Amino acid sequence: MSDDEARFSAIFRNLGAVTAYAQRRGSRDSEALAAEVMTIAWRRLDRVPRDDPAPWLYATARNLLLAERRGTTAVGELPDVAMPASEPVSLDPAIDRALRALSPKDREALLLVAWEDLTPAQAARALGMNATAFRVRLLRARRRLQAALADDARPPVTMEVEEA
Amino acid sequence: MNMDQLTAANPVPSVPALDDRALFERIVALPHERGRRVPRKRTAIVLAFAVAAVLASTTYGVSSWLAAVKPPVTLQEYSAAQRYLTLPPGYTWPVLHVDSNSVTSPGAGGGHAVTVAMVDWECYWVSAIRSHDATAQGRAHAELKTLLHDNTVVAPAGASENWSPPVDARQPVQVFADDGGYQYKERMYAAAAAGDPTLLMQSCAVNGIR
Repeated sequence: MSDDEARFSAIFRNLGAVTAYAQRRGSRDSEALAAEVMTIAWRRLDRVPRDDPAPWLYATARNLLLAERRGTTAVGELPDVAMPASEPVSLDPAIDRALRALSPKDREALLLVAWEDLTPAQAARALGMNATAFRVRLLRARRRLQAALADDARPPVTMEVEEA
Repeated sequence: MNMDQLTAANPVPSVPALDDRALFERIVALPHERGRRVPRKRTAIVLAFAVAAVLASTTYGVSSWLAAVKPPVTLQEYSAAQRYLTLPPGYTWPVLHVDSNSVTSPGAGGGHAVTVAMVDWECYWVSAIRSHDATAQGRAHAELKTLLHDNTVVAPAGASENWSPPVDARQPVQVFADDGGYQYKERMYAAAAAGDPTLLMQSCAVNGIR
């Protein structure tokens, strides 16, 4: 096995994690997407960070998901990879609604840490943010999620609203 | 909810231990896409264009890119913006606290004022809905549409977190990342005007606490 292959072998151990990430984000074909991520990692091996490839892999997967989502998104709509496009995975309805009430960046910040088990520093690198800005975003996202859940738990209110 | 609860809600809780040797072999049989060396002549041309682009920019533009501003400037921007923005009846401008050793992007003080105004009008709208005050609801909606239209810009796709447009004191702007936040606000206001104020109430609940 060459040096490159030995190095890629360590990267390749993330195949399951990348597949699970794609599945959680509702990829049409999570295994194919993960394979594509690995192929890109091999072809651009000199650009994959040696010390910790995980953030790079998630960032690449996210870009591929965006491309996949653009292919299924109507013109004028913005693709959002932080939530599944359809419902390929089961999620508690209240949490699903609360997550959808967040901005895509807030959601992705929360989910990279909570579901993908990345450290805040890794998640920050995956999103191309500095660690401090990420921590602030994460804190705010948690508060917003909490508020959205609390609001969701309240009984619906009927109100009259008139157009300006 | 804490992070543990969110973690527990993971729809795909376990990571499959995939060891697809056939896939591995197929991938490593592919050639690398090594960083191709750019010929020196092309490098020189690219550098020349980059330098020309920077020089062609206005001094003001360059200072906007490079110069972060200190707290007195941010506070002055915040104060100046208040002359051009309107708060709902009964609302007052909060004091802006800026750490003395911090720096911010040019225009951030004005942007903060726009954010304050927007949140206040959202909460005013929620109050108006609760009190069935149709006139106040209409005014809040109109003010928020103006704030979105005149005082909000969306950063270019891929721009850095501290991207800021040229500063015009008479037109303070808040900057939204290119992540759908602007469209989310539009949807929120349209839904509230159409009789579904759920998102508006959430926004006020989360952002309206001073």
